[in-house]
Amino acid sequence: MLNPQRSLSELPKMSAASQVERAVLEEEFNWLLKEEVHAVLKQLQDVLKEASRRFSTPTPGLESQLKQENFILGSSTMDQVKGVLTLQGEALSQADINLKVAKSSQVLHFQFREDKQWKLQQIQDARNHVNQALQLLNSRDESYHFQTGAEVNKLMDAVMLQLTRARNRLTTPASMTLPELATSGLMKMFTPPMPGDVMVNFYINLSKLCLTVYQLHVLPPNTTKNFKPAGSSVLHNPGAMFELNHNRFEVSHVHKVECVVPWLNDTLVFFTISLQLCQQLKDKISVFSSFWNYRPF
Amino acid sequence: MTPELEICPRAMLFGHTASITCLAKASTCSDKQYIVSASESGEMCLWDVNDGRCIEFTKLACAHTGIQFYQFTINTQREGRLLCNGHYPEILVVDATSLEVLYSLVSKISPDWISSMSIIRSHRTQEDTVVAVSVTGILKVWIITAEVSRMQDLDPVFEEESKPIYCQGCQSISFCTFTQSSLLVVCSKYWRVFDAGDYSLLCSVPSDTDQAWTGGEFIAADKVIIWTEDGCSYIYKLPPSCLPASEHFRSDVGKTKEGSIPPLVYSIASRSDKQLLICPPVTRFFFGRREPFHKLLIQGDSAGRLSMWSIPETSPLQPLSTAAELQVSSSVSLQEAFDKLTPVSAGIIDQLSVLPGKEEPIKVTASVYIPSQGRMVCGREDGSIILVPATQTAIVQLLQGEHMLRRGWPPHRTLRGHRNKVTCVLYPYQISPRYDQRSLVSGGVDFSVIVWDIFTGEMKHIFCVHGGEITQLIIPPENCSNRVQHCVCSVASDHSVGLLSLRERKCIMLASRHLFPIQVIKWRPADDYLVVGCSDGSVYVWQMDTGALDRCVMGITAVEILNACDELAPATVDALSHSAVNLKQAMTRRSLAALKNMATHKLQTLATNLLAADNADKGNLPKYSHNALVVQAMKTNLTDPDMHVLFFDVEAVIIQLLTEEAQRPSPTLVSPETLQKSQAGADKGGSFLANKIFKQVKETMKETIKEHLLDEDEEEEEEMRRREEKSKSLSLLEYNLTMDTAKLFMSCLHAWGLNEHLDGICLERLGMLRPHCPISFGLISRGGHMSLMLPTFKESLLYQLSLATGRTLTLSDIVGKGTYGVSRAVTTQHLLSIISLANTLMSMTNATFVGEHMKKAPARPPRPGGTPESPRRTPAVPPQPSCPALQAQIKQGWSQLAAMHCVMLPDLLGLDKFRPPLLEMLARRWQDRCLEVREAAQALLLAELRRIGQSGRKDTIDLWAPYLPQYVDTVSSPGSTTEPSSPAPPPPEPQPVETMAPEEQMDVTDDDITAGCLSNLPPNAKKISNSYEERRKQATAIVLLGVIGAEFGAEIEPPKGAVRARTGGQAPEGFGLTSGGSSNYSLARHTCKALTFLLLQPPSPKLPPHSTIRRTAIDLIGRGFTVWEPYMDVSAVLMGLLELCADAEKQLAK
Repeated sequence: MLNPQRSLSELPKMSAASQVERAVLEEEFNWLLKEEVHAVLKQLQDVLKEASRRFSTPTPGLESQLKQENFILGSSTMDQVKGVLTLQGEALSQADINLKVAKSSQVLHFQFREDKQWKLQQIQDARNHVNQALQLLNSRDESYHFQTGAEVNKLMDAVMLQLTRARNRLTTPASMTLPELATSGLMKMFTPPMPGDVMVNFYINLSKLCLTVYQLHVLPPNTTKNFKPAGSSVLHNPGAMFELNHNRFEVSHVHKVECVVPWLNDTLVFFTISLQLCQQLKDKISVFSSFWNYRPF
Repeated sequence: MTPELEICPRAMLFGHTASITCLAKASTCSDKQYIVSASESGEMCLWDVNDGRCIEFTKLACAHTGIQFYQFTINTQREGRLLCNGHYPEILVVDATSLEVLYSLVSKISPDWISSMSIIRSHRTQEDTVVAVSVTGILKVWIITAEVSRMQDLDPVFEEESKPIYCQGCQSISFCTFTQSSLLVVCSKYWRVFDAGDYSLLCSVPSDTDQAWTGGEFIAADKVIIWTEDGCSYIYKLPPSCLPASEHFRSDVGKTKEGSIPPLVYSIASRSDKQLLICPPVTRFFFGRREPFHKLLIQGDSAGRLSMWSIPETSPLQPLSTAAELQVSSSVSLQEAFDKLTPVSAGIIDQLSVLPGKEEPIKVTASVYIPSQGRMVCGREDGSIILVPATQTAIVQLLQGEHMLRRGWPPHRTLRGHRNKVTCVLYPYQISPRYDQRSLVSGGVDFSVIVWDIFTGEMKHIFCVHGGEITQLIIPPENCSNRVQHCVCSVASDHSVGLLSLRERKCIMLASRHLFPIQVIKWRPADDYLVVGCSDGSVYVWQMDTGALDRCVMGITAVEILNACDELAPATVDALSHSAVNLKQAMTRRSLAALKNMATHKLQTLATNLLAADNADKGNLPKYSHNALVVQAMKTNLTDPDMHVLFFDVEAVIIQLLTEEAQRPSPTLVSPETLQKSQAGADKGGSFLANKIFKQVKETMKETIKEHLLDEDEEEEEEMRRREEKSKSLSLLEYNLTMDTAKLFMSCLHAWGLNEHLDGICLERLGMLRPHCPISFGLISRGGHMSLMLPTFKESLLYQLSLATGRTLTLSDIVGKGTYGVSRAVTTQHLLSIISLANTLMSMTNATFVGEHMKKAPARPPRPGGTPESPRRTPAVPPQPSCPALQAQIKQGWSQLAAMHCVMLPDLLGLDKFRPPLLEMLARRWQDRCLEVREAAQALLLAELRRIGQSGRKDTIDLWAPYLPQYVDTVSSPGSTTEPSSPAPPPPEPQPVETMAPEEQMDVTDDDITAGCLSNLPPNAKKISNSYEERRKQATAIVLLGVIGAEFGAEIEPPKGAVRARTGGQAPEGFGLTSGGSSNYSLARHTCKALTFLLLQPPSPKLPPHSTIRRTAIDLIGRGFTVWEPYMDVSAVLMGLLELCADAEKQLAK
């Protein structure tokens, strides 16, 4: 796409830019490829290494030595639900959920079974994407000489793809249908076992660790209310209905509590910075590319 | 590929919306050559390599990075599975024919993404093993037993073993098929050999400092080939500790052996003259499974080049310190392959673009086709824009004729204004009639947007508001504010969006300062919002009136905002244009009577309009139009010129031809405007791109037209323009678009050179033209997937044919007829098109492509119509017998043409050069909506059935009988709990009708025919996958067996025993229901049952009363009544027919 040779051979024909101007441009472009690109890559690497460091990668066999962090999920406005979650790497190793049922003012208490962990796939995916981006950057160290702008663009596209994915994994939690949620393995992880009319879900939204608790009530089989199963969503609203094992349920209450995970916030900032760095580099290249592609007529 | 290892590019497949991440084969048998492809966005497509059909496609939320095909056998039945890994912690097991996820392989211990996997097949036991390495370097082992593979619910399978092997960044894992006891794991920094039994490390080899390994494979028991990121490969001899045959095997397990590099046998450097590559090449190693057992290393790179090395069996005798270099066996790039062609394939307006003294014509960089005027608008590299009649320029490029001698032909107009490359062209009137018919908008790299008057060629305004190259021009939706409605929206590479008012000639809003490139523009007209989606996932909401930034969001809110825009749009559009919607609904409902009704109504209004020359209710005519010819520009690379694909819609051509025939009584009133209208009206029936067949014109270099000096050229252009200004505004509209389209189409399809006499008639009397060189065709599959044959396909075709005939053929030998030897699907489409079109032309007056009338609008009275379709029943004026002798000759010519293609083609070509049409495709067209296509399909199907003879028919029956659905009848379901007469309840059919609708819009009768079938699967049959292919097969089986039964009924009956035995043998696969003992005449009876079921099934959304499948059933019941009679309840059938008749009466009466 960018071919300095061709543009050189066409120098005499250039009408828009004078010879000198083009020579300067050429030099500037070479500087961009030789110096600036590597400077940006270095900066990117540093930022991403910092981001990757935040995700503590487990060494096989030594998962239990990872640092444990406790998060208290609650909200100031309502106190029906309170949760204490322990995050160990990318998995929730312990969870304590207190649920105050409105009608009976009875407090339900659940916690994870000893042998169970709940992996937050979002964190793992984000970590893997960042590591892949880092790998891409590492493959082009300072000794590598970029010869075309297209090469740089291609590398930037690949890096940006991974970074966008990493960020999207954290910013857009998976939307699930209620039956999917009800049958997920999460329901079987608690002791005492969850009653049939309560469902929980954990996910990451931006830098926040979120816990949603749905309280359900069974719809009588011959109800006059028209039944419309709800689609998939991150957060279902009260009134959403679904069918499971020939029973029809309706969500009566939804409680959502959350807590900011500081290091996730950091990583999101790092992602955004690196994406902007990448785009700026691409923009710089594109300024030159429109010159090189110029053909007088 | 030839046995001499020459590679020839054949076809290009289109259909993914993101970059492709992996490819894998998806079948092992040689008659079904399937591949599967997956893209970044999670799409998966299954393609037939032979003709490029997309057989099945699906989309998952996750992206795959690796797919492996795996075949296993249950009770002699072979089934294919695809194992997929990617950006998710499981291995998904997908059915290889329906692409449904069957189950997944899950890890219990430290689950993580799988970076690569390999399948180990064991010959001793029924168990196969899947070995995979996760990104954190943990080796996982799953065992797939016979029960597991039969399992169809979504229970996860947990791993058998999980062992950390400390291989970070694993690139590939492969199993030694020679010794069955070692595994090769390649990581970017080292490769290692493990024992396949207990996964202990046998040897480890680090890479050189500056190289990264990307993959490897065993090539013999003691040799491995490893390749690197920069395209080099190395063959190593394994140390004895890795060889089970050696006594030293496992001698040093547990010791570290880093650094001991085994001897290098060969090194394979990448090409020395290699071009700069922008990303690492992909290398794979293949074993030849059949003769001649090649061991090939194949490498593909970003410059479009494939290189191939043949790996020798023996080691060289040189000292091992200097590893021998292996020479490349063959190498080809797309560019080279194209350059080798003679004549070089041409661009759409190359004859107008050649500059004196330059080799290459000026590249076309942007183009748009205006169907209402039949004109191509091509923006070029030098900033000029050319307007040219599309059919004529295509004829120049593709066909031989007198026009080759004329300079500056076809007549064209040049617009000059841009200072450099034109990047986009837009004709707003085409999208919405609210815009001025005259304005054409173009954007260029010079940052400007120019508005032109298309009729005078005048430049009306230049907008210079952006600070970057214009990348896109878009039209705002209907219900925006009045001011915005007359704007076009321009997107520039400086990440800015502008709203440019064509009426006020000023920019009413400029939204800039987006940090990332703009990916999508959406609208919320009700709130006066313009929604800009950027490539990083952020969304900016702008107020159009004030130009204020309302908000800027990211993450889930951004996704929700974008989705909300999509949901709003269709509802508002529907509310606006009622007439079009009605027609559309009728179309989707496939209700014949409603359509007819609508058609006659439209035709009446049209006729009155014509006679009264009343232009007032222009708005009433449907905008829903499909054009006979559509020219679509495509780009494979940003810097390449556009290439153009010509899409023909046979149905639309036929309808337009017939309408023109019908219009002839009122020649005086045919003004350009009404002509346009009539075309719109004519389209009422022709709404489907069913028979889209297209040719491809690739823009590359073309031979120059000599003796042009720069100055002269300029002058000529000027002259031309002046002349144009005087005469062109008329002449461009005056030539007969429909006839030209038909001429181009017929000339391309005719099998030239088979019958000298007929060729002569075609050339002289019918006015067809012979193509320059074989034309590349393509195929469109469901869901907008398409394949285009590359012009280089003819090289391989040539080779194949000359091998078959034993003599060398020249290119001219295969002009026209060559395409009939490409694939069966292509043959079917071509034959259908040419026969139906020839029949149409035969029924027309003076239907020849030579003579004066080609230049003007048709001015002849029609032949009184004798067919039931309404267009031909228009006010009949007494026919004027105009030289009846000539008429007869022309008609005879067309009939000869049709006969040759219908019956004689297989004999004339010989079976080695002719791929017979596909019976199933013809069967699906048995009752096509378009009468001409229907007739052609029936004639072809019967001819083909006759040709294949009794044995061929029997094979067909055997092939299709298993697909025949078993409609539950009272005899065979004594124990079944479900109500036999009721169709399957909705729950097992999760496909809602709404999702079908868009698909039906896209395509065709195929969907139509399946629509009927899916609703009546017997509830307790084997869990039949809901896959499209499966449903379609059922429908096809009914029709095909129905046809054979009806036409060759005597044959189907006597050998009943044999047929029954075979169907009986198939019973375990899902027809156990009827094999219970009551089946006496299974085949004839089941076919009959299926047909009557289709007839009697009460109308439902899935099986509307007037669907194609029902019509087919009625037709076949009638044709083969004597065969079916013993098995059917005649009175019920009669009642059903009468009921349908009554319905139709009612609807017609309305």
